[in-house]
Amino acid sequence: MSEEKGVSKPVRIQTEDFSVEEETRLLHGGNGGMGGIVSFLGTARDFSRDRDVSRLEFEEYAGMAEKAMNALRDKAMQQFDIIDMRIVHRIGTIQAGEQIVLIIAGAAHRGVAFDACEWCIDTLKQTVPIWKKEITPTGESWVEEHP
Amino acid sequence: MIRVLLFARLADLAKTREAEFECNEQGICLDELIRQVVARFPALEASLAQPRLLFLAINQEQAWLDEQVNSGDEVAIMPPFSGG
Repeated sequence: MSEEKGVSKPVRIQTEDFSVEEETRLLHGGNGGMGGIVSFLGTARDFSRDRDVSRLEFEEYAGMAEKAMNALRDKAMQQFDIIDMRIVHRIGTIQAGEQIVLIIAGAAHRGVAFDACEWCIDTLKQTVPIWKKEITPTGESWVEEHP
Repeated sequence: MIRVLLFARLADLAKTREAEFECNEQGICLDELIRQVVARFPALEASLAQPRLLFLAINQEQAWLDEQVNSGDEVAIMPPFSGG
């Protein structure tokens, strides 16, 4: 198992923002065998279901959420022929326009990196105990579907 | 004692994020615990009426309604996830 700490950990849940460039650099890690890197970056929309959204609040089940995200990465690494994957999800208050989640996969060839990235974000939405609340000018509501 | 954790909409409805429930040495079934949670927090009745729509966990591992809960366990009752 990885003993990496802090920002170099490949799976993280954090309140602070992240740098896509830095995560890409860490993923690549000078690996000459990597020929394709695909990333999915989820950002906060300023509208939802025809309403303005000013900000989002994310809540997690501390401990279990990180465990589920680690399991997700392990499964992606087994299921797809990728060299490495990193997953970073923010929690707490996120203003419209800010970054929420980053999934980044590196492989020898691009095809599996695209597949791994798409599978990972779809599965994350169903298996990781994180919840999103939308704050609008007229009130707030929890989101419970997976668009 | 069993520690029950509630999240997101369920925590808002119950106006608390956690509660403790008595439990004897035999433990209780998870569906019976959910009945006790509803009895203490009637605002959760509609949401917990169809527990199959919820995600349940015992000690941070996914659990099912027919599973046994023992004293000292942490039970999480979670609405559908919406991360990402």
